[in-house]
Amino acid sequence: MTDFLQLVISGLATGAIYALAAIGFTLLWQTTQTINFAQGEFMMLPAFFALAAMRWAGAPFWLACIVAILCSVLVLGIGYKKIIIDPLRGQPGLAVVISTLALAIFLKDSVKDIYSAEAQPFPTILPDTMLSFGGVNISLAQIGVLVVATVVILVLNWFLTQTRTGRQMQATAQNPTVAKILGVDIDRMVLYTFLINAALAGMASLLISPIYLAKFSNGEVLGLAAFVAAIVGGFNQVRGAIVGGLVIGVVDNLAAAYVSTAYRQAVPLVLLVLVILFRPQGILGRKEERTV
Amino acid sequence: MANAPAAARPDVVLSLRDVVSGYGKMTILNGTTCDILKGKITTVIGPNGAGKSTMFKTIFGLLPVRTGSITLNGKDVTNHAPRQMLDNGVCYVPQGRNIFSELTVRHNMELGTVALSDQSSVPERMEAMFKRFPILREKADVQAGTLSGGQQKLLEVARGLLLDPSLILIDEPSIGLSPLMVQEVFGILENLRDNGVSILLIEQNAKQALKLCDYGLVLEQGQTRIEDTGENILADPRIGELFLGGAMKQAG
Repeated sequence: MTDFLQLVISGLATGAIYALAAIGFTLLWQTTQTINFAQGEFMMLPAFFALAAMRWAGAPFWLACIVAILCSVLVLGIGYKKIIIDPLRGQPGLAVVISTLALAIFLKDSVKDIYSAEAQPFPTILPDTMLSFGGVNISLAQIGVLVVATVVILVLNWFLTQTRTGRQMQATAQNPTVAKILGVDIDRMVLYTFLINAALAGMASLLISPIYLAKFSNGEVLGLAAFVAAIVGGFNQVRGAIVGGLVIGVVDNLAAAYVSTAYRQAVPLVLLVLVILFRPQGILGRKEERTV
Repeated sequence: MANAPAAARPDVVLSLRDVVSGYGKMTILNGTTCDILKGKITTVIGPNGAGKSTMFKTIFGLLPVRTGSITLNGKDVTNHAPRQMLDNGVCYVPQGRNIFSELTVRHNMELGTVALSDQSSVPERMEAMFKRFPILREKADVQAGTLSGGQQKLLEVARGLLLDPSLILIDEPSIGLSPLMVQEVFGILENLRDNGVSILLIEQNAKQALKLCDYGLVLEQGQTRIEDTGENILADPRIGELFLGGAMKQAG
């Protein structure tokens, strides 16, 4: 039982990280109807911004983290919007799919060429000290991840629901035409969405890299997990992305322990197939009504 | 130039001159010209595809005017963006359901004040609107998606009125509403008209709308065929032909 609890808690910790990236997925989907197939690479790259800041500029870890978030907002937020998405406005959806797939390859290979193909150790926010709660061993680092991810999600949720700007973003996501009719500055709201997605991916990157080590190819696994999390939870709901992320994290961890580590990567996909078969709108998603 | 705005007439709030507009390569408004009178309810009628909704979208800046001009109170507003049209005192309530179903009624209303330059008056305006529509106050904190169709329409109208518009463009407000609710919505419009607000309305139920409104405007194939009082249009034998599918003979 204590083993099981330990697995669930460490699963929640990684799941919370998937949830961050999955939220970004759903926000971008809602506001721009685009799916970013480079989201995994968006979770890989910011760790290298931090490593570069520490290695080449001698920055301390905390400063490197800030630099990483700022760089990811700049490159993966503004840059991604202006260079990839804006020029494709009005083009068929497939153009965005292919472009973001190409972007994924570009980011991956750039990191490999510029930084290193080796997995890099990455510092944790809190040390790896083990704490014991009634026989359940949890590392301080895991608690740190859970706390940071929870705080980020709570702050984001507060922003989206309790501030006027946040509600204008929700309005833009739910019905851009009506938002425009009411005078909402749609373009600005869409830009905010890109910035938030990039910041979330940056946070996820800083949290996951101590666990997975920073490696150029991390995006493949992370992107898939975040994508599946978003679909399992319900692609059109922030709440869904959170639930989806946590479910994937926990199920993945339990499967690795009780089924087989060899099949670990297949588990999210099995879950994806099951959800698509039996509940295509996702756990919390609502059916999308599309009018022509 | 034929496209020059007409000399400002004090009794006209909105005028279109040879407006051409449409979607992509499709032209819907094909040189539409009309004058909408101040402080009156004017109903736009016409068969499906005549360009009624397109006309509203074009006036409100959601579709570009290719040629021609639109003037509001004598001021050129051709191709003004929706935000500018709101600043000009125009509000647009489109067809169908246009609420944000996952936000509360209060937050839906509040989004109607985004374009307000003086944000300090927002609470006061919201309060006045809740006073006017008590049902919205009652439901202020529930998700707007749970409202009935009629209540949603009321919410949309209330949201539009928060900016004290002087001209309201309202597209098929009665569609899908119960007869009682239709009466209520029309009652609101008449009340607004009595307070000096100009209303341009699209209605599917032409007969009923023409009885209620002051003026009518018959649109066919993107051009104005008749502009007259509601009564006169109701009595016009050509209307029957138009709605029975035949094309109208060019009016006088």
